[in-house]
Amino acid sequence: MQQYIIRRSLLNVFVLFLVATMVFGALRIDSSTIVNNRASSCVQDVGGNSDPELCRRVAKSELGLEKSFPRQYLDFMTDTVQLDLGNSFYTKTSVLDDIKQRAIPSIELGLLQLVVALTIALPVGVISAIRQDTWIDYILRFVAIFALGIPVFVIAIAVITLTSQYFEGTFVADWLGPHNTGWVELWEDPIQNLKLVTGAALVGGLGTGAVIMRFLRSQMLEVMRQDYVRTAWAKGLRERVVIIRHALKNALIPVLTVVGLLLGSIVSGNVILETIYNIEGIGFYVTFSAAQFDFPVMQGIVLVVAMLLVFVNLLVDIAYGWLDPRIRYS
Amino acid sequence: MQQEQAVPVVVTPAVEAPLRKRANAGQNVLKFVKRKPLGALGFAMIIFLFAMTLGTPKLEFGVPELPHRPFGFELGAPWMARYGEEEQFKSIASGRLAQHTDPTIDNWLGTDGSGRDNWSRIVWGARRSLFLAVWALGIATAVGTFIGVMTGYFRGWLDTIGQRLMDALQSFPPLLTLILILTIAPFTSSPSLVVAAFALGFVGIPQVQRIVRGVVLSTREQQYVEAARVIGATDARTMRYYILPNIMASIIIIFSTGLGVVILAEAAIAFLVPNVLPSEGASWGLMLDQADNEGIKDHPWPAIASAGAIALAVLGFNLAGDALRDVLDPRLRTG
Repeated sequence: MQQYIIRRSLLNVFVLFLVATMVFGALRIDSSTIVNNRASSCVQDVGGNSDPELCRRVAKSELGLEKSFPRQYLDFMTDTVQLDLGNSFYTKTSVLDDIKQRAIPSIELGLLQLVVALTIALPVGVISAIRQDTWIDYILRFVAIFALGIPVFVIAIAVITLTSQYFEGTFVADWLGPHNTGWVELWEDPIQNLKLVTGAALVGGLGTGAVIMRFLRSQMLEVMRQDYVRTAWAKGLRERVVIIRHALKNALIPVLTVVGLLLGSIVSGNVILETIYNIEGIGFYVTFSAAQFDFPVMQGIVLVVAMLLVFVNLLVDIAYGWLDPRIRYS
Repeated sequence: MQQEQAVPVVVTPAVEAPLRKRANAGQNVLKFVKRKPLGALGFAMIIFLFAMTLGTPKLEFGVPELPHRPFGFELGAPWMARYGEEEQFKSIASGRLAQHTDPTIDNWLGTDGSGRDNWSRIVWGARRSLFLAVWALGIATAVGTFIGVMTGYFRGWLDTIGQRLMDALQSFPPLLTLILILTIAPFTSSPSLVVAAFALGFVGIPQVQRIVRGVVLSTREQQYVEAARVIGATDARTMRYYILPNIMASIIIIFSTGLGVVILAEAAIAFLVPNVLPSEGASWGLMLDQADNEGIKDHPWPAIASAGAIALAVLGFNLAGDALRDVLDPRLRTG
């Protein structure tokens, strides 16, 4: 196990290196869009009197595109290792500081979303499996397919529009709708803070929950057919004990991997939800910067999130081996 | 001399072996509908979606004034679209633009803020969505399958390097990466949907590769593959005739579910950051974004039309993909 962790970590360092190289390459393949965009805003800044060629040169040097290619690569890598992600084009603030500041709303939303997803998925998945092919199973699976199939932003827009239409000013709209007040920390005003994220967490949790539920159901069906579950029934154990202690515990292990894999899609999904719900997290920051072609910000965020996901995947693998002693890493 | 005599042979009439009759296509379809009603519904939705966008092709070879077209011809207006993509309506009473009208006989889903027919724009948008999705999936499956077969078949250092590359690609959050690629992509110089499709397809490569490689790894240990190698089949031949047919089921599944994912991704990006996508023509995501800006509460019809189109299309591909997965590849079953 220890050896495995060390080997995987070393491989991860290589993967991180590849991730950084790909991000480096992305701009160098064709930088004309970004440079032109930046240059045009520079011309506007000075009131249209500035020399466009000069503006292009300034834009290029801002992105570090002037030097020789190996030199650019070396600079990029040293900056990345030192976690210097550059400054935003527009606000001139350090990208890393901005990310740190905006990480809390995103993490809070992501965690709440997982909590919502699991509270829905666990009971629903278990019920749907132990009552396989009854009307309740059909209804639950049907609802899950719809929660999966309908895009999260369509659901979000529908929820916001309908609540503001029919529950204007009541507590329903207050808890489910978006707010324009800006971010409030949990320890400053817990209620207001929760009001900001509940709507997004519920909508996002629904889709994520549907994925987990479907996977849990198939796992449960497989586990329920195992010999040890039959033994448990034969011993005369109560249904609750058989289902929860013998079946669910074992069915949950593969589900954990799915939850780990879902973290990537939760990050992506939150870009949509944060933008719609005005939650000033990392996703909100991305769409805001992308609309302005603020390249350093987007490059920094993609780099940071990709690197985090590399380590999350490692943690999931390790947790998997720890929970299921049958799995041996060699 | 004895003449050979012809001995009469009793010819027994060939007994018709009680072969099980192969089910014809119609029976297969019926069986599928019975077993997977939801999947059949999904397929019906997809067929309708594709049918919606059909139009008569107009051959336009060698006309120098025209902008570049990849195949030298252009599809005519989709037959289900009642009006042109940008055709605006004027109200008869006032003579001004018929903005945000409710559904009528002429405008089945009402009109949008610029007085354009919502239904026709949905149909035109379907063509754009499908064009993007098919191109993106084509690129993703072609490249992903190639890498997957190569790494899975040859193993060794190729596999090691390939896997690490794919690990790196896979750790990029898809939507963020797409937005990043699209901001870099040179639309300003050549506004082309094909470039957008490349970006959308690129993100899908590692997922395709992972599935294909898994199938190749298990297939190459099969006895018949070994037998093929023993009789001297080259690597290329083994891959083409013994391994590739096994992957087809997975590829079909990836393709059908993937189309929905790409349509969704394009719509989401168009809604979130409309200015990074090429804006020519009608697009479901851009329609929804416009509807959102103009206020859904006051003018619900453009939003209902575009959100409904996105939701139904994605739902259709999901339903069909699920059913296909159950029927074609029980190993991949997810419940």
